[in-house]
Amino acid sequence: MNVVVCAKLVPTGTPTLGPDHLVVRSGTDAALDPGDEYGLELALQLTEQHGGDVTVVSMGPDEAGQAIQRALAMGASRGVLVSDPSLRGADALVTARVLAAAIGMYPFDLVVAGVESTDGYTGTVPVTVAEILGIASVTAVRRLEPSDAGARIERMTERGYDVYECPLPAVVTVTAGSVEPRFPSLKGIMQAKQKPVDRPSLQDLGSRDLTATQTVTAVTDAPTKSGGEVVQGDEAVGRIVELLAEAKVI
Amino acid sequence: MAGAWVFAEITRDGPHPAAFELLAHARSFDDDPTAIALGQGATEAAAELGAHGAATVYACDDPVFAEHPGRPAAHVLAGLIEAEAPDVVLFAQTYDSRDVAGRLQGSIGSALMGNATSIADPRHARAEIFGGTKIVDVELAGPAPPLILLRPKSIAAEPTGGTARVVPLEADVPEDIRGARIVERHEESASGPRLEDAKVVLAGGRGLGGPDAFAMLDELASVIGGAAVGASRAAVDAGWVPYSYQIGQTGKTVKPDVYLAAGISGALQHVVGMKGAKRIVAINKDADAPLLAMADLGVVGDLFQVLPALTEEIRRRKGS
Amino acid sequence: MAVLTVAVTLFWRRARSRLEVLRAARPAARTDHPGVRARRELSHVLGQRKLFQKAAPGVMHAFIFWGFLVLLPTIVEAMLAAIDRHWTFPYLGHVAWFAFLQDLFATLVVVGVAIAFTIRKIQRPDRFRGSHMEEADRILLAILGIVTTLLLWNASRIALGFADHPAAAPVTDALSGLFGGGRGTEVAERVLVWSHLLIVLGFLTYLPRSKHLHIITAAPNVYLAKNQPLGYLEPLRIDLEGAETDVRLGASVATDLSRKQVLDLFSCTECGRCQEVCPAWNTGKALSPKLLIMDLRDQVAKEAPLITAGAAGIVELQPLVPNAVADQVVWDCVTCGACVRECPVDIEHVDTIVDLRRNLVMAESRFPNEAGAMLRGVESSENPWGQSASARTDWTASVEDIRVLQPGDPPPEILFWVGCAGAFDERAQRTTQSIARLLTAAGVDYAILGPRERCTGDPARRMGHEYLFQMLAEANVEILNGAGVTKIVASCAHCFNTLANEYPDYGGAYEVVHHTELLSALVAEGRLRPDPAGGRGSVTYHDACYLGRHNGRYDAPREVLRAAGAAAVEMPRHGERSFCCGAGGARMWMEETEGTRINDTRFAEAEATGAETVATACPYCFVMLDDAAKAKGSAVRVADVATLLAESTLAEPGG
Repeated sequence: MNVVVCAKLVPTGTPTLGPDHLVVRSGTDAALDPGDEYGLELALQLTEQHGGDVTVVSMGPDEAGQAIQRALAMGASRGVLVSDPSLRGADALVTARVLAAAIGMYPFDLVVAGVESTDGYTGTVPVTVAEILGIASVTAVRRLEPSDAGARIERMTERGYDVYECPLPAVVTVTAGSVEPRFPSLKGIMQAKQKPVDRPSLQDLGSRDLTATQTVTAVTDAPTKSGGEVVQGDEAVGRIVELLAEAKVI
Repeated sequence: MAGAWVFAEITRDGPHPAAFELLAHARSFDDDPTAIALGQGATEAAAELGAHGAATVYACDDPVFAEHPGRPAAHVLAGLIEAEAPDVVLFAQTYDSRDVAGRLQGSIGSALMGNATSIADPRHARAEIFGGTKIVDVELAGPAPPLILLRPKSIAAEPTGGTARVVPLEADVPEDIRGARIVERHEESASGPRLEDAKVVLAGGRGLGGPDAFAMLDELASVIGGAAVGASRAAVDAGWVPYSYQIGQTGKTVKPDVYLAAGISGALQHVVGMKGAKRIVAINKDADAPLLAMADLGVVGDLFQVLPALTEEIRRRKGS
Repeated sequence: MAVLTVAVTLFWRRARSRLEVLRAARPAARTDHPGVRARRELSHVLGQRKLFQKAAPGVMHAFIFWGFLVLLPTIVEAMLAAIDRHWTFPYLGHVAWFAFLQDLFATLVVVGVAIAFTIRKIQRPDRFRGSHMEEADRILLAILGIVTTLLLWNASRIALGFADHPAAAPVTDALSGLFGGGRGTEVAERVLVWSHLLIVLGFLTYLPRSKHLHIITAAPNVYLAKNQPLGYLEPLRIDLEGAETDVRLGASVATDLSRKQVLDLFSCTECGRCQEVCPAWNTGKALSPKLLIMDLRDQVAKEAPLITAGAAGIVELQPLVPNAVADQVVWDCVTCGACVRECPVDIEHVDTIVDLRRNLVMAESRFPNEAGAMLRGVESSENPWGQSASARTDWTASVEDIRVLQPGDPPPEILFWVGCAGAFDERAQRTTQSIARLLTAAGVDYAILGPRERCTGDPARRMGHEYLFQMLAEANVEILNGAGVTKIVASCAHCFNTLANEYPDYGGAYEVVHHTELLSALVAEGRLRPDPAGGRGSVTYHDACYLGRHNGRYDAPREVLRAAGAAAVEMPRHGERSFCCGAGGARMWMEETEGTRINDTRFAEAEATGAETVATACPYCFVMLDDAAKAKGSAVRVADVATLLAESTLAEPGG
């Protein structure tokens, strides 16, 4: 079972915005998105049990190579990095088109991603990739096993989980906590350097429309929310309720 | 104004409450929004959708949408959009609606914006990022209608008492694009979401005094909905709750939207497990507890009074 | 003659496989400072110093050991007298004082064996649980046989008139009364000398496969022991750019062990002194240092033929973990070093455990899940809690005039290394603040590194992630050297140990003191004037393993407490015998799942002294004991020595 894993390099501290209102990705501490590690771990376990290779694909600045190295150290066989200055600020659609094109260059039965990235948390790119590739998709997956129909998948719901039969190839997004990502061994880190990392150019991926469909026009500070206040007595309950409402929880 | 469209998610229990909120959003710039309802119960839901502002409801009761989530809905929507050319389509930021929107973007190439909290017009919306500390205004371009995902509870639903014109639809979804199929449903009674996934985490510590007090947190969790109960190491060591509840450096790490800690002092070993929470509320009778200083909202008080009062207040609000 | 040849041949054949294993092992590179090593040899081996850490067993063993040394010439005498009955040892065989010594020590050996059997059969201490008691019995009986045959043989010689000074050997002389002196005695004399020889030679052939091999391996083992303080670990020097085969990632199979480590295994006498003091074993965990060494030894012995055969090619050896030792046993260790302190033959259990961990973490990525969070934190944020570096100065908010050393600034007289716990943990922050206030009050020229400080790497290294430690050590040394730092005061016992003992391997040679030492010196110099009448009440001081046993620092904290007006009361296990708080060996980040908690056990011991306060000198001890106090709801206060001093010295100790 060949699996392609989507990996994103995200800032490790609080992300900051540059003057162009885009998240600063170069020159800061960054690492493989923890959400993607769950997908990677699932992919590794599947190929360990059922054979096949794990290919990790990432779109980003040069530094995204770090995310790929980490994935290779954990056990992926090959990395693919698409990096082009024109892709800076790519929105979900452009990202999906680029990823779909890159993924399409390799044989795969399954594409795995995290449920949402920790710095953007839109959470739609994987299914958009599925649509472009014309294959099935299941999100919020907590368990997956190959079956006669393709794969038997457990998907998380608010009340529990649903079980799906899904034809392969397919795209799945994996929830946090569904598997425990392995810690790469030093041997793995050393072996990672020997593994191939392809760097297809935009031309290699074929022509497609890569114009961004959204721009950020302004960034302002949110009005100070209930930050660092201490209350007691009768007003306490009311303030808590207000906070919960502000957080859109109730 | 050809219009604002709202994708009204139809669940087994009827229309998702977020649908009414979406209609409220739509009505901020379009007096006659349209709702698309796909799934068994769609036609039935039309009345309620109309009562919340939908002027037109496209309804299709075909079971295919429940059996094959995501793809059929996107397919039908794509066809409708091509035929009717709306200005914008609004979705709720839920797992299911998000899947539909994502696939739709792939097939029609429209802009898609997530986590929006308000809309000015079909091409301009606003979102909060970085844990709600920054507000971004976004302009949406592109040929097809933009798809905007709005956070649930970002606006209050407004009953208008109107009625909607119902347009029945046929679902004509080819077999080969139906995608994954549901074969079983499992409901894990009462346990709610897992700690790692919950949007709200309520945690109890030494201050709870014993295992029984955790019932207060359970009740609060069920009243809020979508909340999970955890604990600090002290409560686990004391044997009040199992190790699976433990949050901290040797337990779980959680990143909820709201973390409410009752009776937890806030030692570093615990804090590392929850510092990613977007908002932190701490209730402790000791005014010097470190967690009170760290929290967005610190409550110096008796948790045995505050928690039941809070539960009551939320219950009251939800009931009305 | 023939008998001798047979015996020696048998001995050699059996011993050879052990020797081959040693030859195949990695050289230990432990030949520096021969003077220090020789002194240790004299003290530990000749002087039996560590054996006397336990009174009765010490006496028992000393008698037998010294007896063995003194009686060595008698073996030669017996061998030659077996051929020529009149043969006596030149010079020694004719002087009265040697006859006396022989007599005395032979008797002492008998006494020693009697003591040994009393301990083993009547007292039955728990430290022998898991040891091979029958093997020990056989050895003791053999020893008894050797000296009794010697005494009787000498007695028969006296009866036959071959002894020069019978009166000089009272016991033997008395025994000579058993023999008539005639033909019967001549036969008896032959029988006895041959019995004596046969027992000795038989014992010789038994040696290589038994724990009694220690009589040969113990002396070199002591010689090769560490010269550095107990807390020091040897570096691995991992070079990722080098060839993969050259990189050693710890001990996976028997051939990964160094000669010292193999000698350790062969020197173990199963005495159990280590087991007796191990905090893990004492709180119901699976780890016993003695059983660990025995299990490793058994696997090495079992694989010895493979190891020798494999000198020619690839050998399939079983991984030591989990075949000899279970994973959990390796992780149970708190690296407190109590085992190493007790061991009479200087076995270094902790080093071997860390080597096993190195392989598990770096080569196999197999370790308790919870610790992964700590490793990730150290890796990405340079501190075990994954906090942001800028928060390292948060504690300074309530303290005035803290100088943060900026790049390019002139170095302070002394750099205050705050450490991760001292910076991020709110309880340890109080200690940091107390120290800062005291140093300022004393007019010390000091500064902190602030956000440029990184974890010293101790938790990563103790966990077995040597590479992560190496990267941190190199980075820290670069910053410290670049800043021109020459003197450091550390407030955490672990930071202290690493900075003082381990950083020199990476180019960082600084004068490092622990905060209790510095504070004690400041008080002695009069730069700090605590008011002892302030009365800190009764205080019991918990010796931190990494300050005390690992580095021999016991007095300074006590001096500080005395100066602060504390009425000191000691726990039974204090000083060198201190019982660990349970956080060492990166166990701060691991869950204890078996038995009772180590920190609870130690806290109970502290509480039992009746002291109102437990004083600590390390933030880990502080947190562990404070947690234990809170869990018990105890009124006993846990506080750092610095805080107690600050309360007696400063108008506003705060913290």
